[in-house]
Amino acid sequence: MIVLGIETSCDETAAAVVTDTGEILAETVLSQLDEHRPYGGVVPEVAARAHLEHIDRLVGETMSKAGTGFDQLEAVAATGGPGLIGGVIVGVMTAKAIAVAQKLPFIAINHLEGHALSARLEATNRVEFPYLLLLVSGGHCQLLSVEGPGHYKRLGTTIDDALGEAFDKTAKMLGLGYPGGPAVEAAAKHGEASRFALPRPMKGRPGCDFSFSGLKTAVRHAAMALPEGPFEERDIADLCAGFQAAAGDVLADRTAHAIDRFLQEHDKCNALVIAGGVAANQSIRQRLQKLADKQAIPLVAPPASLCTDNAAMIAWAAIERITASGPGAAEDGLDFRPRPRWPLDPDAPSAAFAGAKA
Amino acid sequence: MRILAMDTSTSACSVALWCDGAIVSYRLSEMSRGQAEALAPMIAAVLDEAGLNASALDLLAVTVGPGAFTGLRIGLATARALALAADVPCLGLSTTEVIAQGVDENAWPDGCLLVALDSKRSDIYVQMFSKPGQAAGEPQAIEPEKLGQWLGDVSGHIGVVGDAGAVALVALSEKANDVFAVDASGVPDARAVAALAAQRWNVGDPTPSPTPLYLRPPDAKLPRDGGRLRP
Repeated sequence: MIVLGIETSCDETAAAVVTDTGEILAETVLSQLDEHRPYGGVVPEVAARAHLEHIDRLVGETMSKAGTGFDQLEAVAATGGPGLIGGVIVGVMTAKAIAVAQKLPFIAINHLEGHALSARLEATNRVEFPYLLLLVSGGHCQLLSVEGPGHYKRLGTTIDDALGEAFDKTAKMLGLGYPGGPAVEAAAKHGEASRFALPRPMKGRPGCDFSFSGLKTAVRHAAMALPEGPFEERDIADLCAGFQAAAGDVLADRTAHAIDRFLQEHDKCNALVIAGGVAANQSIRQRLQKLADKQAIPLVAPPASLCTDNAAMIAWAAIERITASGPGAAEDGLDFRPRPRWPLDPDAPSAAFAGAKA
Repeated sequence: MRILAMDTSTSACSVALWCDGAIVSYRLSEMSRGQAEALAPMIAAVLDEAGLNASALDLLAVTVGPGAFTGLRIGLATARALALAADVPCLGLSTTEVIAQGVDENAWPDGCLLVALDSKRSDIYVQMFSKPGQAAGEPQAIEPEKLGQWLGDVSGHIGVVGDAGAVALVALSEKANDVFAVDASGVPDARAVAALAAQRWNVGDPTPSPTPLYLRPPDAKLPRDGGRLRP
């Protein structure tokens, strides 16, 4: 079985051709960093325009690289949400058109499901259900119990900003450029984390929800309180280190709560899987490794290319769905409506004090 | 020649199949939103009705704007991906010329035709045509109060068509010319897209991938000092 996957929900335009054995025959990811850099963050209209400009060429190149004809595909899958709707629409329409042209099933994949199942793509490292997923990116911050294809339970989510967003905003305030994650991590390397007393929002509270908006504001206040003039390199390093340590503490605390809850419902946790762009941060990864070791649970981080937004995980999620329920039941209608919001676990109670977008 | 034409650029969604000079299958629904849901089923239905596969087409044709940004992307993403997967060339046509094409020759003004489209902002999208199929200048985004000046000294009647026709009529009320509303649909129609494509394209003609005609940069403000607290 060969499936084409398409991902356009944020600032990466991506296509991938994947087999049911978990082999990625070809994949292409085009990042829009240059387009968004002047704004210090992703601008939805800029993103939507860039997706349209490149997606058909990327799909064509990826199919050629894979040596796969459109008539050899079992299905075509695209991220159907959640995400920036202008981009999601471009990917969904591209996939629908290919489905019409080749009379193939069209499958709309929840972007979060793509991340949730990405730890099962590589045949050599396939994590068995059930496992706990910590998804931390620029757009999402969630703890999910992954029980099977289509079976997810949300244990916690952010009530305001995603952690990746907080990284970007910290970098922006300090003039470190965009994207902020790698810049903050690099600056933090030589910093003294304890110099600034930054809060650990939600730490110690019951439950598994996150909040990062207060931490971001605390960084702003600490920075504004520094003596006038340009920031010293030392100040930037210490602020970044302090911010990163606070973020790591919060993630570890909330994840520990999630492990407890997970183990109340399951005999064992096969893995703590981390995904999303923030999972690439080594300091945060070490913090979570310590937690996982203490609980004797393996920490699994898919390779960086599968951790950040990519289309292979979208194709793979479709393959998992087809394998579990058959191609007929896995198919979505050509009238599928792209979804800016799409909770993976619609039964989850909304987080206390959560904003409308959480 | 078989042409599959589509439009989602303004407040409708339509698909038409043209075979050797006649429309053989056609769908149109007026809608201000929802084209992302409606378009692909319409294309499948139109092809099914004619018993055709997409690969049996000679040409795809699509409106590229000006129009609603999301609508333009829905049509263009679909047409370009169909072109790729069915290996069929794809031609882009402006929304304004498609609306002009939809004006019946009997209704054509003795003078020139102004197509005026709603941009959902204070400005409107306009293009002038001196004769059927003959544009006088490119499509523009313009504030209504500047419309008279932009038109300059044109002679003869000015017929106005499009969903911002009423706005244009008010803006041009001071003009010496006889300005009136043309009796024609102000909504682009896939049948007109197909007819115009058939006039303009011959088998073997080059067809560069159609690109959107936004006429306006993205709405985004550059942060002051790049968002830095201490520039």
